[in-house]
Amino acid sequence: MSDIRLEIKDVSKAFGITKALSSVSFNINKGEIHALIGENGSGKSTLTNSLAGIYQKDWGSFILDGKEVNPVNQVEANNEGISIIVQELGTLDGLTVAENIFLGHEEKFVKFGIKNTASMNRKANELLKQYGFDRIKASDMIEHYNFEDRKLVEIVKATYFGPKIVVIDETTTALSREGREELYKHMKRIREEGNTVIFISHDLPEVLSLSDTITVLRDGLYIDTVKSSEIDEDGLKKLMVGRDVTGGYYRADYGEKVSDEVVMKVENVTVPGIISNISFELHKGEILGFGGLSESGMHEVGKACFGASFDREGKVTLADGTQVNDIPTAISHSIAYTSKDRDNESLVMNQSIRDNICLPSLDDLANKAHMLSDKKLKSFADEFAAKMSTKMQSVDQFVSNLSGGNKQKVVLARWIGKDSDILVLDSPTRGIDIKVKQDIYQLMDRMRKSGKSIIMISEELMELIGMCDRIIIMKDGQINGELMRNKDMDENTLIAKMV
Amino acid sequence: MNTSTETAGKKISGQVKGYLLLILLVIISWGIFKIITPNNFGSAKNMLSYFEASLLAAVGAVGFYFVMVMGMFDFSIGANIMLSAIVGCVFAGRFGLGYFGLVVGAILTGALVGLLNGTFYVKLRIPSMIVTTGLALIYESIANFIAGGVEQTLPSNLRAFGQMPGNLILAVIAFAIAYLILNYTKIGTYTYAIGSNEFVAKNMGIKVNKYKILAFIISGAFLGIMAVLTISYGSSMVAVTGMASMSRNFVPTMGCFFGLAFKKYGMPIPAIIIGEFVINIIFFGFIALGAPTAIQDVITGLALLVIVTVTTKVAKGEIVK
Repeated sequence: MSDIRLEIKDVSKAFGITKALSSVSFNINKGEIHALIGENGSGKSTLTNSLAGIYQKDWGSFILDGKEVNPVNQVEANNEGISIIVQELGTLDGLTVAENIFLGHEEKFVKFGIKNTASMNRKANELLKQYGFDRIKASDMIEHYNFEDRKLVEIVKATYFGPKIVVIDETTTALSREGREELYKHMKRIREEGNTVIFISHDLPEVLSLSDTITVLRDGLYIDTVKSSEIDEDGLKKLMVGRDVTGGYYRADYGEKVSDEVVMKVENVTVPGIISNISFELHKGEILGFGGLSESGMHEVGKACFGASFDREGKVTLADGTQVNDIPTAISHSIAYTSKDRDNESLVMNQSIRDNICLPSLDDLANKAHMLSDKKLKSFADEFAAKMSTKMQSVDQFVSNLSGGNKQKVVLARWIGKDSDILVLDSPTRGIDIKVKQDIYQLMDRMRKSGKSIIMISEELMELIGMCDRIIIMKDGQINGELMRNKDMDENTLIAKMV
Repeated sequence: MNTSTETAGKKISGQVKGYLLLILLVIISWGIFKIITPNNFGSAKNMLSYFEASLLAAVGAVGFYFVMVMGMFDFSIGANIMLSAIVGCVFAGRFGLGYFGLVVGAILTGALVGLLNGTFYVKLRIPSMIVTTGLALIYESIANFIAGGVEQTLPSNLRAFGQMPGNLILAVIAFAIAYLILNYTKIGTYTYAIGSNEFVAKNMGIKVNKYKILAFIISGAFLGIMAVLTISYGSSMVAVTGMASMSRNFVPTMGCFFGLAFKKYGMPIPAIIIGEFVINIIFFGFIALGAPTAIQDVITGLALLVIVTVTTKVAKGEIVK
């Protein structure tokens, strides 16, 4: 009996004139965790979305256990034995947890057209209990749960029926440490049952530790498939980027003195129910990190500094004495903010790259009569999109068509264009590939050297250690420790203060 | 065991909160007019007649809820009611089909109008507001043509649905059907799924266009029932033109707002029924006061804004469009 579960043969897919996949062919085996890696825009999600029925491929075939499959939606894919957990939120408001789990598969609970809600809830509760998620109740409306719990519901939804292939698309970055552990446990269980996980992640140590086999895509082309045991991180980076990733990944300097000049003073900031009594100072040319568990309140600190928190108490004061209490004041005083929730809070998805980049700079770009020139906007957007090496057809392209990493580049291009002095970057490298990460780290380092100050909020401990002059650790909405940059700091030092 | 009890407790407390809010609105609206005009407003008998009158729009509103919760709109409600009532009346009287002709004729006409609304909306791919506004003009003209420009009167022996208990029985059947569809069929689940995120719903294999058309058909059929109640209650119908039928849109739409506002408490249909009752108390209160129509409209409009603002507690930061 063949070990091959899925044969991918000559699969191609284009969006307009952009070729997302060009004749991709490789095999995936039974009973393995098969990682799919590549830079942003390399075609990983396009390939798995085509397999799962979200997109329709233009050419080629998927052969599952010897039979060609062509699902046109996720339910058809489920019926063929393929499921997917998507990068962003995949559950629907207005429905209960149980309705979300069985959406598209209600038939088993319907008799003579009438849905047996009690039976559906009972079955969903059994599954949630079986997965160890019994704090989530089947009859509750899904919107009562946070992002992470909703992701756990998606894990149940995607795996309860024992699919032959489960695609996990860049899901781990949305989860806290505990959430990731839960996901890893289920990935291993699927493998032990003889089924297959296709795992997309930019976290190379995570990929190496979890997967059995790794396939690399680059610019829509198949590059190579390697055994995880036979390659290291540098080898993977080389395959992904197409050359040796040389030069510093993180900052190399240690012991550099940070300026004494305070550019932002945060005093006794409280956001009821989220953060309590937070005080710190941000210095000129400093990268100040915030770390902690996902629900520690660190993400709210960023919003509070940008004047975006509701019911905030306490003071955020700039060097010139300005109090930052709202977003317009923050922007007019050269503060930039990028949210963790890129698609919903940072980008205007149905607008062009040009409009997204120019948005906060429109006043600067307008002439004396407050009129805007198309040419000027385009050249401004072109300049800063190019500075960030954004992969696109033109700045007139809709931002919604870009990959996750390129969307983040658009967000950063916007604030570089605005020439902001203080940048609050919440999870700036979430879902971003190794090359773009390196670009962002180098950009942050250049900004720091030119006197810009950065607050970096991240769940990636290594990037906090690698990039920050100082790291503040949050726990239960409060500051639980502060660590200065030093060579000997490791993840365990931070974790000890986080949990 | 404990947890399930807790969950049930949570659910009950949410619904109880919703019912308490609605009952409070009834008491407040009744109380205000009772104080101002104690003699000719708000007796038990009066309240019953206000409730009877509110049943008409409540039936239309529960159907319209299926369309609105999906994020669509229908400006042809009034035209649909008018056309369905006239067809029902013609079937019952002119064709001699009696109650069967009245009920089936009106419901089928309403459903057909819904089918046309949904199909045009889906096929033309233009906003539902624009499609239904255009179609409303056509429905009005068809109604006028069928009526021959003459007021259509329902024979006096066919008006059982205009009074107790006929109106109540028909309305209760309609509410029960709406409740069943919404809570115990796939249609209800898919209605909410499409309203929440159409793209994800589509990826889940839901035939979004089919269910959008179905929502318009359901809405149309319920408006057909509302037409039966309306012509039975008022005994006749004039086929107006030039978008004059739009004045009939207001009351069912207001009831629907109640349903949307109380959706979070898991009780949209009771909210529509009680909401329409509150609206009627306010209307009849103004009539008892003898207030000029313009003043009535201003206060009713303000009351709508206040009620929806108070009952729809939007979370901070939540975007409202």
